Amino acid sequence: MSKPLLRVSRKWVPSTVTLLVSLAILFPIVWLVLSSFKETGELFSYPLAMLPSRFTFVHYRKVIGEGFFGYVFNSLFLAVVGTAITLVISAMCGYALAIYRHEVSYTNLVFGIFLLGTLIPGETLTVPQVTVISELGLYNNIWGVILPVVTTTTGIFMFRQHYLSIPLSFVEAARIDGSNEAQTFLYVMLPLGTSSTVTLAIFSFMWRWNDYILPLLVLSDQKKYTIQIAIKNYIGFNGVDWSSILAASVMSIIPIIILFIILQRYIVGGLSASGVKG
Amino acid sequence: MKTRYVKRHVRAFWLFVAPCLLLFSTFFLIPLGLSVGFSFTNYDGWKVMNFIGLANYKELFADTKFYQSLGRTFAYTLFSLPFKVIIPLLIASLVTSKRVKIKALARTLTYIPSLLSALVVGITINWMFSAEYGLVNYVIQVLGGTPLQWALNPKLATFVISFASNWASTGFYMVIFIGGLNNIPQEMYEAAAIDGSTTMQTFLRITIPMLAPTTFLVTLLSTVNLLKEYALVQGITQGGPGLNTTFIIQFIFDKGFNQMQYGYASAISLVVMVVFAFIAFVQFKFSNGGDR
Repeated sequence: MSKPLLRVSRKWVPSTVTLLVSLAILFPIVWLVLSSFKETGELFSYPLAMLPSRFTFVHYRKVIGEGFFGYVFNSLFLAVVGTAITLVISAMCGYALAIYRHEVSYTNLVFGIFLLGTLIPGETLTVPQVTVISELGLYNNIWGVILPVVTTTTGIFMFRQHYLSIPLSFVEAARIDGSNEAQTFLYVMLPLGTSSTVTLAIFSFMWRWNDYILPLLVLSDQKKYTIQIAIKNYIGFNGVDWSSILAASVMSIIPIIILFIILQRYIVGGLSASGVKG
Repeated sequence: MKTRYVKRHVRAFWLFVAPCLLLFSTFFLIPLGLSVGFSFTNYDGWKVMNFIGLANYKELFADTKFYQSLGRTFAYTLFSLPFKVIIPLLIASLVTSKRVKIKALARTLTYIPSLLSALVVGITINWMFSAEYGLVNYVIQVLGGTPLQWALNPKLATFVISFASNWASTGFYMVIFIGGLNNIPQEMYEAAAIDGSTTMQTFLRITIPMLAPTTFLVTLLSTVNLLKEYALVQGITQGGPGLNTTFIIQFIFDKGFNQMQYGYASAISLVVMVVFAFIAFVQFKFSNGGDR
Protein backbone atom coordinates (compact mmCIF):
# COMPACT_ATOMS: atom_id res chain seq x y z
CA MET A 1 0.00 0.00 0.00
CA SER A 2 1.36 3.40 -0.86
CA LYS A 3 1.86 6.00 1.87
CA PRO A 4 -1.09 8.37 1.17
CA LEU A 5 -3.47 5.43 0.86
CA LEU A 6 -2.28 4.14 4.24
CA ARG A 7 -2.97 7.51 5.78
CA VAL A 8 -6.49 7.57 4.33
CA SER A 9 -7.20 4.05 5.61
CA ARG A 10 -5.92 4.97 9.09
CA LYS A 11 -8.70 7.52 9.21
CA TRP A 12 -11.46 5.63 7.46
CA VAL A 13 -11.09 2.15 8.91
CA PRO A 14 -11.90 3.14 12.54
CA SER A 15 -14.76 5.38 11.42
CA THR A 16 -16.24 2.67 9.22
CA VAL A 17 -15.95 0.06 11.97
CA THR A 18 -17.65 2.43 14.42
CA LEU A 19 -20.46 3.17 11.98
CA LEU A 20 -21.04 -0.53 11.25
CA VAL A 21 -21.05 -1.41 14.95
CA SER A 22 -23.58 1.29 15.80
CA LEU A 23 -25.80 0.37 12.86
CA ALA A 24 -25.68 -3.28 13.96
CA ILE A 25 -26.78 -2.22 17.43
CA LEU A 26 -29.68 -0.24 15.98
CA PHE A 27 -30.63 -3.01 13.56
CA PRO A 28 -33.07 -5.03 15.77
CA ILE A 29 -35.20 -1.88 16.16
CA VAL A 30 -35.14 -1.21 12.42
CA TRP A 31 -36.19 -4.81 11.82
CA LEU A 32 -39.00 -4.45 14.38
CA VAL A 33 -40.28 -1.26 12.73
CA LEU A 34 -40.11 -2.58 9.17
CA SER A 35 -41.78 -5.85 10.19
CA SER A 36 -44.67 -3.97 11.78
CA PHE A 37 -45.60 -2.62 8.32
CA LYS A 38 -45.65 -6.04 6.67
CA GLU A 39 -48.88 -7.86 5.96
CA THR A 40 -49.54 -10.86 8.20
CA GLY A 41 -48.97 -13.29 5.32
CA GLU A 42 -45.60 -11.75 4.65
CA LEU A 43 -44.57 -11.88 8.31
CA PHE A 44 -44.92 -15.65 8.33
CA SER A 45 -43.51 -16.78 5.02
CA TYR A 46 -40.05 -17.33 3.58
CA PRO A 47 -38.03 -15.82 2.01
CA LEU A 48 -37.80 -12.85 4.35
CA ALA A 49 -37.20 -9.44 2.83
CA MET A 50 -35.83 -6.36 4.49
CA LEU A 51 -38.60 -4.05 3.25
CA PRO A 52 -42.31 -4.85 3.23
CA SER A 53 -43.46 -5.63 -0.32
CA ARG A 54 -46.35 -3.26 0.41
CA PHE A 55 -46.49 -0.98 3.45
CA THR A 56 -49.64 -1.66 5.41
CA PHE A 57 -51.06 0.05 8.47
CA VAL A 58 -53.50 -2.75 9.18
CA HIS A 59 -51.80 -3.87 12.43
CA TYR A 60 -51.66 -0.29 13.68
CA ARG A 61 -55.32 0.19 12.87
CA LYS A 62 -56.22 -3.01 14.72
CA VAL A 63 -54.20 -2.09 17.84
CA ILE A 64 -55.58 1.45 17.89
CA GLY A 65 -59.09 0.05 17.42
CA GLU A 66 -58.53 -2.04 20.55
CA GLY A 67 -58.17 1.11 22.62
CA PHE A 68 -54.45 1.74 22.41
CA PHE A 69 -54.73 5.50 22.80
CA GLY A 70 -56.48 4.96 26.13
CA TYR A 71 -53.40 3.09 27.32
CA VAL A 72 -51.20 5.85 25.91
CA PHE A 73 -53.18 8.35 27.97
CA ASN A 74 -52.75 6.25 31.13
CA SER A 75 -49.02 5.93 30.53
CA LEU A 76 -48.69 9.65 29.84
CA PHE A 77 -50.54 10.42 33.07
CA LEU A 78 -48.26 8.07 35.01
CA ALA A 79 -45.11 9.48 33.41
CA VAL A 80 -45.99 13.18 33.56
CA VAL A 81 -47.55 13.25 37.02
CA GLY A 82 -44.95 10.84 38.42
CA THR A 83 -42.10 12.94 37.02
CA ALA A 84 -43.59 16.20 38.31
CA ILE A 85 -43.94 14.76 41.82
CA THR A 86 -40.43 13.28 41.69
CA LEU A 87 -38.92 16.63 40.69
CA VAL A 88 -40.75 18.63 43.36
CA ILE A 89 -40.19 16.29 46.30
CA SER A 90 -36.59 15.47 45.33
CA ALA A 91 -35.78 19.17 45.05
CA MET A 92 -37.32 19.87 48.46
CA CYS A 93 -35.60 16.94 50.11
CA GLY A 94 -32.19 17.48 48.49
CA TYR A 95 -32.42 21.17 49.36
CA ALA A 96 -33.15 20.51 53.03
CA LEU A 97 -30.38 17.92 53.31
CA ALA A 98 -27.88 20.40 51.90
CA ILE A 99 -28.94 23.76 53.35
CA TYR A 100 -29.65 22.77 56.96
CA ARG A 101 -26.56 20.58 57.31
CA HIS A 102 -25.01 22.92 59.92
CA GLU A 103 -28.18 23.61 61.89
CA VAL A 104 -29.77 20.16 61.97
CA SER A 105 -27.48 17.51 63.40
CA TYR A 106 -29.20 14.46 61.89
CA THR A 107 -29.26 15.43 58.18
CA ASN A 108 -26.77 12.68 57.42
CA LEU A 109 -28.85 10.12 59.29
CA VAL A 110 -31.90 11.04 57.18
CA PHE A 111 -29.81 10.87 54.03
CA GLY A 112 -28.53 7.46 55.16
CA ILE A 113 -32.12 6.16 55.40
CA PHE A 114 -32.68 7.09 51.75
CA LEU A 115 -29.40 5.46 50.73
CA LEU A 116 -30.81 2.21 52.12
CA GLY A 117 -33.15 2.37 49.14
CA THR A 118 -30.26 1.91 46.73
CA LEU A 119 -28.85 -1.06 48.63
CA ILE A 120 -32.01 -3.16 48.56
CA PRO A 121 -33.43 -4.02 45.12
CA GLY A 122 -37.07 -2.92 45.05
CA GLU A 123 -38.04 -6.16 43.32
CA THR A 124 -37.44 -8.12 46.52
CA LEU A 125 -40.04 -5.95 48.29
CA THR A 126 -42.77 -6.15 45.66
CA VAL A 127 -44.87 -8.74 47.51
CA PRO A 128 -45.40 -6.69 50.73
CA GLN A 129 -45.54 -3.47 48.64
CA VAL A 130 -48.65 -4.76 46.92
CA THR A 131 -50.15 -5.53 50.35
CA VAL A 132 -49.53 -1.93 51.44
CA ILE A 133 -51.01 -0.59 48.20
CA SER A 134 -54.18 -2.66 48.72
CA GLU A 135 -54.47 -1.67 52.37
CA LEU A 136 -54.37 1.99 51.33
CA GLY A 137 -57.21 1.35 48.89
CA LEU A 138 -54.98 2.07 45.92
CA TYR A 139 -55.41 -1.30 44.24
CA ASN A 140 -56.55 -0.91 40.61
CA ASN A 141 -55.85 2.83 40.88
CA ILE A 142 -53.23 4.71 38.86
CA TRP A 143 -52.05 6.40 42.09
CA GLY A 144 -51.17 2.94 43.35
CA VAL A 145 -48.47 2.74 40.70
CA ILE A 146 -47.37 6.40 40.97
CA LEU A 147 -46.91 6.98 44.71
CA PRO A 148 -44.70 3.95 45.47
CA VAL A 149 -42.08 4.87 42.88
CA VAL A 150 -41.77 8.67 42.95
CA THR A 151 -39.13 8.77 45.71
CA THR A 152 -35.80 8.10 44.06
CA THR A 153 -32.53 8.26 45.90
CA THR A 154 -30.90 9.27 42.62
CA GLY A 155 -33.10 12.36 42.47
CA ILE A 156 -32.54 13.33 46.10
CA PHE A 157 -28.81 12.80 45.64
CA MET A 158 -28.67 14.93 42.47
CA PHE A 159 -30.39 17.89 44.11
CA ARG A 160 -28.41 17.53 47.33
CA GLN A 161 -25.15 17.72 45.37
CA HIS A 162 -26.46 20.71 43.43
CA TYR A 163 -27.47 22.69 46.52
CA LEU A 164 -24.22 21.79 48.31
CA SER A 165 -22.42 23.61 45.49
CA ILE A 166 -24.37 26.85 46.07
CA PRO A 167 -22.86 29.13 48.76
CA LEU A 168 -24.91 29.32 51.96
CA SER A 169 -24.51 33.10 51.83
CA PHE A 170 -27.28 33.13 49.19
CA VAL A 171 -29.68 31.70 51.76
CA GLU A 172 -28.46 33.99 54.52
CA ALA A 173 -28.84 37.06 52.32
CA ALA A 174 -32.43 36.09 51.56
CA ARG A 175 -33.17 35.55 55.26
CA ILE A 176 -31.75 38.94 56.17
CA ASP A 177 -34.02 40.46 53.55
CA GLY A 178 -36.93 38.97 55.47
CA SER A 179 -37.77 36.00 53.32
CA ASN A 180 -39.10 32.95 55.16
CA GLU A 181 -37.77 29.41 54.56
CA ALA A 182 -40.39 28.50 51.96
CA GLN A 183 -39.91 31.77 50.07
CA THR A 184 -36.13 31.32 50.08
CA PHE A 185 -36.54 27.91 48.52
CA LEU A 186 -39.19 28.92 45.99
CA TYR A 187 -37.90 32.30 44.82
CA VAL A 188 -34.15 32.18 45.45
CA MET A 189 -32.89 28.61 45.29
CA LEU A 190 -35.31 26.78 43.00
CA PRO A 191 -34.76 29.17 40.06
CA LEU A 192 -31.04 28.37 40.28
CA GLY A 193 -32.10 25.25 38.42
CA THR A 194 -29.62 23.01 36.85
CA SER A 195 -29.15 20.78 33.86
CA SER A 196 -29.39 17.86 36.28
CA THR A 197 -33.06 18.81 36.75
CA VAL A 198 -33.58 18.16 33.06
CA THR A 199 -31.55 14.96 33.24
CA LEU A 200 -33.65 13.71 36.15
CA ALA A 201 -36.86 14.71 34.35
CA ILE A 202 -35.93 12.74 31.24
CA PHE A 203 -34.89 9.67 33.17
CA SER A 204 -37.92 9.80 35.42
CA PHE A 205 -40.24 10.12 32.42
CA MET A 206 -38.54 7.14 30.79
CA TRP A 207 -38.65 5.01 33.96
CA ARG A 208 -42.36 5.68 34.46
CA TRP A 209 -43.20 5.17 30.78
CA ASN A 210 -41.40 1.82 30.91
CA ASP A 211 -42.63 0.74 34.38
CA TYR A 212 -43.76 -2.84 34.28
CA ILE A 213 -43.93 -4.77 37.53
CA LEU A 214 -46.23 -2.59 39.67
CA PRO A 215 -48.69 -1.71 36.87
CA LEU A 216 -48.91 -5.42 36.05
CA LEU A 217 -49.72 -6.34 39.64
CA VAL A 218 -51.80 -3.34 40.69
CA LEU A 219 -53.95 -2.41 37.66
CA SER A 220 -56.59 -5.07 37.05
CA ASP A 221 -59.21 -3.15 35.07
CA GLN A 222 -58.30 -3.16 31.37
CA LYS A 223 -59.34 0.49 31.01
CA LYS A 224 -56.59 1.42 33.47
CA TYR A 225 -53.77 -0.50 31.77
CA THR A 226 -50.60 1.31 30.81
CA ILE A 227 -48.96 0.68 27.44
CA GLN A 228 -46.54 -1.90 28.82
CA ILE A 229 -49.37 -3.99 30.26
CA ALA A 230 -51.37 -3.67 27.06
CA ILE A 231 -48.33 -4.97 25.15
CA LYS A 232 -47.83 -7.79 27.63
CA ASN A 233 -51.43 -8.87 26.99
CA TYR A 234 -50.57 -9.75 23.40
CA ILE A 235 -48.44 -12.55 24.85
CA GLY A 236 -50.98 -15.26 25.55
CA PHE A 237 -50.88 -18.85 26.73
CA ASN A 238 -50.97 -20.05 23.14
CA GLY A 239 -48.09 -17.87 22.00
CA VAL A 240 -47.50 -14.33 20.90
CA ASP A 241 -49.87 -12.29 18.71
CA TRP A 242 -46.93 -11.06 16.68
CA SER A 243 -48.67 -8.83 14.17
CA SER A 244 -50.31 -6.78 16.95
CA ILE A 245 -47.40 -6.79 19.38
CA LEU A 246 -44.99 -5.45 16.75
CA ALA A 247 -47.19 -2.43 16.02
CA ALA A 248 -47.92 -1.82 19.70
CA SER A 249 -44.22 -2.02 20.59
CA VAL A 250 -43.28 0.43 17.85
CA MET A 251 -45.89 2.90 19.03
CA SER A 252 -44.65 2.55 22.62
CA ILE A 253 -41.10 3.54 21.74
CA ILE A 254 -41.86 6.53 19.49
CA PRO A 255 -42.42 9.15 22.26
CA ILE A 256 -39.28 8.11 24.13
CA ILE A 257 -37.08 8.19 21.04
CA ILE A 258 -38.41 11.63 20.02
CA LEU A 259 -37.78 12.94 23.54
CA PHE A 260 -34.28 11.48 23.47
CA ILE A 261 -33.35 12.97 20.12
CA ILE A 262 -34.48 16.44 21.23
CA LEU A 263 -32.87 16.30 24.68
CA GLN A 264 -29.99 13.87 24.24
CA ARG A 265 -27.25 16.26 25.30
CA TYR A 266 -28.76 16.24 28.79
CA ILE A 267 -28.64 12.45 28.94
CA VAL A 268 -25.10 11.97 27.71
CA GLY A 269 -23.78 15.10 29.42
CA GLY A 270 -25.81 14.61 32.59
CA LEU A 271 -24.78 11.01 33.06
CA SER A 272 -21.10 11.57 32.61
CA ALA A 273 -20.99 14.84 34.57
CA SER A 274 -23.29 14.25 37.54
CA GLY A 275 -23.10 11.00 39.42
CA VAL A 276 -20.21 9.22 37.89
CA LYS A 277 -16.62 10.16 38.52
CA GLY A 278 -13.87 8.17 36.86
CA MET B 1 -32.95 34.77 69.34
CA LYS B 2 -30.51 32.22 67.97
CA THR B 3 -32.39 29.22 69.38
CA ARG B 4 -35.73 30.44 68.00
CA TYR B 5 -34.05 30.69 64.61
CA VAL B 6 -32.67 27.17 64.82
CA LYS B 7 -36.01 25.79 65.99
CA ARG B 8 -37.73 27.32 63.00
CA HIS B 9 -35.09 25.86 60.71
CA VAL B 10 -35.45 22.42 62.24
CA ARG B 11 -39.17 22.61 61.56
CA ALA B 12 -38.54 23.79 58.01
CA PHE B 13 -36.09 20.91 57.51
CA TRP B 14 -38.70 18.34 58.50
CA LEU B 15 -41.36 19.95 56.31
CA PHE B 16 -39.03 19.89 53.31
CA VAL B 17 -38.08 16.23 53.74
CA ALA B 18 -41.58 15.15 54.81
CA PRO B 19 -43.00 14.15 51.39
CA CYS B 20 -40.01 11.98 50.48
CA LEU B 21 -39.70 10.53 53.95
CA LEU B 22 -43.40 9.75 54.18
CA LEU B 23 -43.59 8.04 50.78
CA PHE B 24 -40.32 6.22 51.35
CA SER B 25 -41.50 4.94 54.72
CA THR B 26 -44.89 3.86 53.38
CA PHE B 27 -43.67 2.06 50.29
CA PHE B 28 -40.20 0.93 51.30
CA LEU B 29 -39.58 0.78 55.05
CA ILE B 30 -43.02 -0.60 55.98
CA PRO B 31 -42.86 -3.30 53.26
CA LEU B 32 -39.39 -4.16 54.54
CA GLY B 33 -40.81 -4.62 58.04
CA LEU B 34 -43.84 -6.52 56.69
CA SER B 35 -41.51 -8.77 54.74
CA VAL B 36 -39.76 -9.76 57.96
CA GLY B 37 -43.11 -10.21 59.72
CA PHE B 38 -44.76 -12.22 56.91
CA SER B 39 -41.76 -14.51 56.69
CA PHE B 40 -42.70 -16.04 60.06
CA THR B 41 -46.32 -16.66 59.00
CA ASN B 42 -48.29 -18.68 56.47
CA TYR B 43 -49.96 -15.52 55.09
CA ASP B 44 -51.82 -16.24 51.86
CA GLY B 45 -52.28 -12.58 50.86
CA TRP B 46 -55.90 -12.64 51.87
CA LYS B 47 -57.35 -14.30 54.98
CA VAL B 48 -55.05 -16.81 56.62
CA MET B 49 -52.15 -15.49 58.68
CA ASN B 50 -50.83 -17.71 61.47
CA PHE B 51 -47.47 -17.47 63.17
CA ILE B 52 -45.47 -20.52 62.14
CA GLY B 53 -42.03 -19.58 63.44
CA LEU B 54 -39.12 -20.57 61.27
CA ALA B 55 -41.06 -23.10 59.20
CA ASN B 56 -40.74 -21.00 56.01
CA TYR B 57 -36.99 -20.80 56.40
CA LYS B 58 -36.72 -24.53 57.09
CA GLU B 59 -38.77 -25.23 53.99
CA LEU B 60 -36.69 -22.79 51.99
CA PHE B 61 -33.34 -24.32 52.88
CA ALA B 62 -34.66 -27.72 51.84
CA ASP B 63 -36.32 -26.46 48.63
CA THR B 64 -34.37 -27.78 45.64
CA LYS B 65 -36.38 -25.53 43.27
CA PHE B 66 -35.10 -22.52 45.22
CA TYR B 67 -31.48 -23.64 44.92
CA GLN B 68 -31.96 -24.42 41.24
CA SER B 69 -33.47 -21.01 40.58
CA LEU B 70 -30.70 -19.24 42.50
CA GLY B 71 -28.03 -21.34 40.75
CA ARG B 72 -29.59 -20.57 37.37
CA THR B 73 -29.55 -16.87 38.21
CA PHE B 74 -25.86 -17.03 39.18
CA ALA B 75 -24.94 -18.98 36.04
CA TYR B 76 -26.80 -16.46 33.88
CA THR B 77 -25.11 -13.55 35.68
CA LEU B 78 -21.61 -15.02 35.40
CA PHE B 79 -22.09 -15.84 31.72
CA SER B 80 -23.43 -12.38 30.83
CA LEU B 81 -21.23 -10.21 33.03
CA PRO B 82 -18.03 -10.13 30.91
CA PHE B 83 -19.99 -9.01 27.84
CA LYS B 84 -21.84 -6.39 29.88
CA VAL B 85 -18.54 -4.76 30.78
CA ILE B 86 -16.24 -5.41 27.83
CA ILE B 87 -18.51 -4.53 24.90
CA PRO B 88 -19.49 -1.06 26.23
CA LEU B 89 -15.84 -0.40 27.09
CA LEU B 90 -14.71 -1.20 23.55
CA ILE B 91 -17.46 0.89 22.00
CA ALA B 92 -16.75 3.79 24.37
CA SER B 93 -13.08 3.62 23.32
CA LEU B 94 -14.13 3.76 19.67
CA VAL B 95 -16.45 6.73 20.08
CA THR B 96 -13.89 8.74 22.07
CA SER B 97 -11.01 7.96 19.71
CA LYS B 98 -9.46 10.85 17.82
CA ARG B 99 -9.35 8.73 14.70
CA VAL B 100 -13.11 8.28 14.54
CA LYS B 101 -15.15 10.86 12.65
CA ILE B 102 -18.80 10.16 13.41
CA LYS B 103 -18.64 10.08 17.21
CA ALA B 104 -21.91 11.86 17.98
CA LEU B 105 -23.93 9.80 15.49
CA ALA B 106 -22.45 6.53 16.74
CA ARG B 107 -23.19 7.44 20.37
CA THR B 108 -26.80 8.31 19.56
CA LEU B 109 -27.44 5.12 17.60
CA THR B 110 -25.79 2.95 20.26
CA TYR B 111 -27.79 4.56 23.05
CA ILE B 112 -31.24 4.12 21.47
CA PRO B 113 -31.83 0.49 22.64
CA SER B 114 -31.31 1.70 26.25
CA LEU B 115 -34.50 3.75 25.91
CA LEU B 116 -36.74 0.73 25.44
CA SER B 117 -38.63 -0.92 28.28
CA ALA B 118 -37.28 -4.30 29.35
CA LEU B 119 -40.43 -5.91 27.99
CA VAL B 120 -40.08 -4.33 24.55
CA VAL B 121 -36.38 -5.24 24.52
CA GLY B 122 -37.40 -8.84 25.09
CA ILE B 123 -40.00 -8.68 22.33
CA THR B 124 -37.61 -7.04 19.83
CA ILE B 125 -34.92 -9.69 20.29
CA ASN B 126 -37.43 -12.51 20.54
CA TRP B 127 -38.82 -11.47 17.14
CA MET B 128 -35.37 -11.89 15.56
CA PHE B 129 -34.83 -15.26 17.23
CA SER B 130 -38.26 -16.81 16.79
CA ALA B 131 -37.94 -20.42 15.67
CA GLU B 132 -40.24 -20.12 12.67
CA TYR B 133 -39.88 -17.14 10.38
CA GLY B 134 -37.33 -15.46 12.64
CA LEU B 135 -34.56 -13.53 10.93
CA VAL B 136 -31.70 -15.38 12.64
CA ASN B 137 -32.97 -18.82 11.69
CA TYR B 138 -33.61 -17.57 8.16
CA VAL B 139 -30.02 -16.41 7.82
CA ILE B 140 -28.79 -19.75 9.23
CA GLN B 141 -30.86 -21.57 6.62
CA VAL B 142 -29.69 -19.36 3.78
CA LEU B 143 -26.11 -20.11 4.84
CA GLY B 144 -26.94 -23.82 4.66
CA GLY B 145 -27.37 -24.57 8.40
CA THR B 146 -30.20 -26.15 10.34
CA PRO B 147 -32.54 -23.73 12.12
CA LEU B 148 -32.19 -23.77 15.91
CA GLN B 149 -34.96 -24.18 18.49
CA TRP B 150 -34.15 -20.97 20.38
CA ALA B 151 -37.11 -21.19 22.73
CA LEU B 152 -37.13 -24.94 23.39
CA ASN B 153 -33.49 -25.55 24.23
CA PRO B 154 -32.67 -24.25 27.76
CA LYS B 155 -29.13 -23.16 26.84
CA LEU B 156 -30.23 -21.37 23.67
CA ALA B 157 -33.12 -19.69 25.51
CA THR B 158 -30.72 -18.42 28.18
CA PHE B 159 -28.39 -17.20 25.44
CA VAL B 160 -31.19 -15.21 23.78
CA ILE B 161 -32.10 -13.58 27.12
CA SER B 162 -28.46 -12.73 27.76
CA PHE B 163 -28.10 -11.35 24.24
CA ALA B 164 -31.17 -9.15 24.75
CA SER B 165 -29.95 -7.92 28.12
CA ASN B 166 -26.53 -7.03 26.73
CA TRP B 167 -27.98 -5.37 23.70
CA ALA B 168 -30.20 -3.13 25.82
CA SER B 169 -27.58 -2.08 28.36
CA THR B 170 -24.64 -1.43 26.04
CA GLY B 171 -25.55 2.20 25.35
CA PHE B 172 -26.06 3.08 29.01
CA TYR B 173 -22.75 1.61 30.17
CA MET B 174 -21.02 3.11 27.11
CA VAL B 175 -22.04 6.57 28.36
CA ILE B 176 -20.65 5.80 31.82
CA PHE B 177 -17.38 4.62 30.26
CA ILE B 178 -17.21 7.76 28.11
CA GLY B 179 -17.38 9.79 31.33
CA GLY B 180 -14.55 7.71 32.79
CA LEU B 181 -12.42 7.97 29.65
CA ASN B 182 -12.83 11.75 29.51
CA ASN B 183 -11.53 11.97 33.08
CA ILE B 184 -8.18 10.40 32.23
CA PRO B 185 -5.59 13.21 32.06
CA GLN B 186 -4.57 13.85 28.45
CA GLU B 187 -0.92 14.31 29.49
CA MET B 188 -0.63 10.61 30.23
CA TYR B 189 -1.42 9.83 26.61
CA GLU B 190 0.97 12.48 25.39
CA ALA B 191 3.74 11.06 27.58
CA ALA B 192 3.00 7.57 26.29
CA ALA B 193 3.12 8.80 22.69
CA ILE B 194 6.51 10.46 23.27
CA ASP B 195 7.83 7.20 24.71
CA GLY B 196 6.74 5.46 21.50
CA SER B 197 3.93 3.39 23.02
CA THR B 198 1.69 1.58 20.50
CA THR B 199 -2.10 2.00 20.55
CA MET B 200 -2.50 -1.43 22.10
CA GLN B 201 0.12 -0.78 24.79
CA THR B 202 -1.47 2.57 25.65
CA PHE B 203 -4.89 0.93 25.95
CA LEU B 204 -3.63 -1.89 28.20
CA ARG B 205 -1.14 0.10 30.31
CA ILE B 206 -2.91 3.44 30.68
CA THR B 207 -6.59 3.29 29.74
CA ILE B 208 -7.49 0.06 31.53
CA PRO B 209 -5.76 0.84 34.87
CA MET B 210 -6.92 4.47 34.93
CA LEU B 211 -10.46 3.34 34.19
CA ALA B 212 -10.60 0.91 37.16
CA PRO B 213 -13.13 2.93 39.25
CA THR B 214 -15.53 3.20 36.29
CA THR B 215 -15.11 -0.48 35.45
CA PHE B 216 -15.90 -1.32 39.06
CA LEU B 217 -19.07 0.77 38.95
CA VAL B 218 -20.24 -0.83 35.70
CA THR B 219 -19.47 -4.31 37.07
CA LEU B 220 -21.43 -3.64 40.25
CA LEU B 221 -24.44 -2.17 38.41
CA SER B 222 -24.46 -4.98 35.83
CA THR B 223 -24.24 -7.66 38.50
CA VAL B 224 -27.24 -6.33 40.39
CA ASN B 225 -29.24 -5.81 37.22
CA LEU B 226 -28.48 -9.32 35.97
CA LEU B 227 -29.33 -10.92 39.32
CA LYS B 228 -32.77 -9.28 39.26
CA GLU B 229 -33.55 -9.85 35.57
CA TYR B 230 -37.30 -10.23 35.24
CA ALA B 231 -39.30 -8.06 32.82
CA LEU B 232 -37.07 -8.85 29.86
CA VAL B 233 -37.64 -12.58 30.34
CA GLN B 234 -41.39 -11.95 30.16
CA GLY B 235 -40.93 -10.70 26.60
CA ILE B 236 -38.95 -13.79 25.56
CA THR B 237 -39.56 -17.08 27.36
CA GLN B 238 -41.75 -16.17 30.38
CA GLY B 239 -39.42 -18.43 32.35
CA GLY B 240 -39.56 -21.50 30.11
CA PRO B 241 -38.93 -24.01 28.74
CA GLY B 242 -40.17 -25.60 31.97
CA LEU B 243 -38.48 -23.51 34.64
CA ASN B 244 -35.22 -23.24 32.74
CA THR B 245 -35.14 -19.43 32.54
CA THR B 246 -37.08 -18.74 35.76
CA PHE B 247 -34.64 -16.52 37.61
CA ILE B 248 -34.90 -15.76 41.30
CA ILE B 249 -37.14 -12.66 41.15
CA GLN B 250 -39.68 -14.49 39.00
CA PHE B 251 -39.43 -17.44 41.41
CA ILE B 252 -40.43 -15.09 44.26
CA PHE B 253 -43.30 -13.59 42.24
CA ASP B 254 -44.58 -17.04 41.25
CA LYS B 255 -44.62 -18.15 44.89
CA GLY B 256 -46.23 -14.90 46.06
CA PHE B 257 -48.71 -13.86 43.43
CA ASN B 258 -49.47 -17.09 41.56
CA GLN B 259 -49.36 -19.62 44.39
CA MET B 260 -50.52 -17.13 47.05
CA GLN B 261 -47.72 -18.07 49.46
CA TYR B 262 -46.98 -14.53 50.65
CA GLY B 263 -45.29 -15.77 53.81
CA TYR B 264 -42.98 -18.13 51.97
CA ALA B 265 -42.27 -15.56 49.25
CA SER B 266 -41.30 -13.03 51.94
CA ALA B 267 -38.84 -15.49 53.47
CA ILE B 268 -37.24 -16.06 50.04
CA SER B 269 -37.12 -12.28 49.44
CA LEU B 270 -35.20 -11.68 52.65
CA VAL B 271 -32.70 -14.45 51.97
CA VAL B 272 -32.21 -13.17 48.42
CA MET B 273 -31.72 -9.63 49.75
CA VAL B 274 -28.94 -10.87 52.02
CA VAL B 275 -27.33 -12.88 49.20
CA PHE B 276 -27.39 -9.86 46.84
CA ALA B 277 -25.95 -7.59 49.52
CA PHE B 278 -23.22 -10.15 50.23
CA ILE B 279 -22.29 -10.32 46.53
CA ALA B 280 -22.08 -6.53 46.31
CA PHE B 281 -19.98 -6.47 49.49
CA VAL B 282 -17.55 -9.10 48.14
CA GLN B 283 -17.17 -7.18 44.88
CA PHE B 284 -16.55 -4.02 46.84
CA LYS B 285 -13.88 -5.63 49.05
CA PHE B 286 -12.30 -7.50 46.17
CA SER B 287 -11.78 -4.34 44.14
CA ASN B 288 -11.14 -1.95 47.05
CA GLY B 289 -14.19 0.00 45.94
CA GLY B 290 -12.49 0.57 42.60
CA ASP B 291 -9.59 2.52 44.06
CA ARG B 292 -6.46 2.16 42.06
